[in-house]
Amino acid sequence: MFPELNSLLNASPDTFKPGDFILLSDRQADASFLIHHYLSFYLRAGCKVCFLGLVQSFSHYSAVGQRLGVSLTQAREKGQLVFLEGLKDSIGAILKEDTSEGTQALSYLRSPRAGLEGLFRFVESSLCQSGDDGPPVLIIDDLSVLLSLGVSAGAILDFTLYCRATVCSELQGNMVILVRCEEEDADDDEEGLNLLQRGLVHQCHLALHVEGLPTGYCRDIHGQMEVWWRQGENDAYNQRKIFQFKVHDKGASFFTRGTSRAVL
Amino acid sequence: MLLEVLQAAEAGGFILIQDSVQCCGRGILRCCINAALKRDEDVHVLGFESPETEVCAGLDSSFAQKLHFHKGFPDPLGWRGKSSFTVQQFTSQHITQLIRDSQPAKASVLVVDSLSLVLRHHDPVIVCQSLQELRKGGVVKTIIGLLHSDLHLQGIVGIVCHLASTVISVAPTNNERHAVATTTRRTKSGKVMQEEEYFSVSEDATLSVQSKPRQHDRVEKEQDSAEVDPASNLTFNLRLSEEERRAKEKVALPFVFSQEKKSALLRPTPGSGRIMYEPDANDDFDEEDPDDDLDV
Repeated sequence: MFPELNSLLNASPDTFKPGDFILLSDRQADASFLIHHYLSFYLRAGCKVCFLGLVQSFSHYSAVGQRLGVSLTQAREKGQLVFLEGLKDSIGAILKEDTSEGTQALSYLRSPRAGLEGLFRFVESSLCQSGDDGPPVLIIDDLSVLLSLGVSAGAILDFTLYCRATVCSELQGNMVILVRCEEEDADDDEEGLNLLQRGLVHQCHLALHVEGLPTGYCRDIHGQMEVWWRQGENDAYNQRKIFQFKVHDKGASFFTRGTSRAVL
Repeated sequence: MLLEVLQAAEAGGFILIQDSVQCCGRGILRCCINAALKRDEDVHVLGFESPETEVCAGLDSSFAQKLHFHKGFPDPLGWRGKSSFTVQQFTSQHITQLIRDSQPAKASVLVVDSLSLVLRHHDPVIVCQSLQELRKGGVVKTIIGLLHSDLHLQGIVGIVCHLASTVISVAPTNNERHAVATTTRRTKSGKVMQEEEYFSVSEDATLSVQSKPRQHDRVEKEQDSAEVDPASNLTFNLRLSEEERRAKEKVALPFVFSQEKKSALLRPTPGSGRIMYEPDANDDFDEEDPDDDLDV
């Protein structure tokens, strides 16, 4: 959990707005540090977390979580964290060796045209189970992998619409989704990454977009993050701010443009 | 023109609201719903993308019986069996039956939120055919659709815009409180009118519109501002009188090298310097040309 980011976004584990859909995206940069922030944030807040880890193993997230002060192993053992290991379970799904809950969720691997209904059922069953946990949270890292596996952008947008309807609207929980973007001037076909990102921005309440610096590499500034609050009181009201950041071992520093240590 | 589109929706009309990630068009959609309810019309909303609380936020509750919200949002594809209307049912027959089941006294207003999800699951030609059949079918007086124009190919956006009688494109401005709406209206006679206006939407779905000055007006304004004297109405004097200007021109600049200063500082000497060179005893005086091996 990054305290500076919490103060920027006016959130804390005790007071955060329910029903929010937060979209993380990056272009020529890596926004994975924000996923780790939100994972530790919601675990500290006592939420029931369903994590779809499609790009890394559980031990990776567990090691980073250890640095941020949360234990994913304990959270999983006591049922607060439901972790879908996309990498490990995909072997079973492709080879059809077993029909456990994880492989049913990954049915898109065998037939991408079937869509993501199985994955949505996994999310629904993970978060809708009754218990004394806090509000539900769904974290996905990352959705672009599904595009590479042959699922269409429309099917992914349908899946996120269903997740938003269930998690954010009905259960009043939160969603955090990471998606990668291509170059701005890439040939943008109908099934491209940029189309997926735009479709998700239409649905989200808060978008955090991470980019490299336009001036190139800098040792003290790892990139810049655009914070985009959407769906305020007035629909025409769109508030956007840009902050520069530096990622450390156990956190991240954020500063207004031009006020980093490399400049002052 | 934007207020005229909202106040007097024509029969058989199709109003298309185009938005992008930069500016959301759902606020104008809510204003269209509110205006139709205040005209005492039956409004049928096919809500696929947003919940009823979000689409109907701020609407007047006294018109609640006139508003029919068909819930597609929790389950637009029928995955969970919770939907009263799925996107597969977006056909003119289904929608006509849906509106007739509510026994309207007259033709109704159909609102589609949003057409982007419909176009994702239906062929664009089929969607256009359904919209055209609904416009001429009799049970629907006006269709109002929301389209996220940056989620589709330009060709698909083009054919839907071509079908519409009015296209409202929303875009952001530098002012965070306002957005700009470009309204393109095509009358039955084929005449096309276009206007740009600033708008904002309040919490009770009321639209505030300001006229956007045109390019011609801006040029005239620049000409007017050029003639205005900026030096008037000041608390200090910006001008020089005649004697002040003459005294200013008479002042000699301290570092300019005038002729008097040159003659005072530099004394010319008779003759010029010469360089004489006596070769040393160890000098190798070679008459050979060092560039002899060049082929030029």
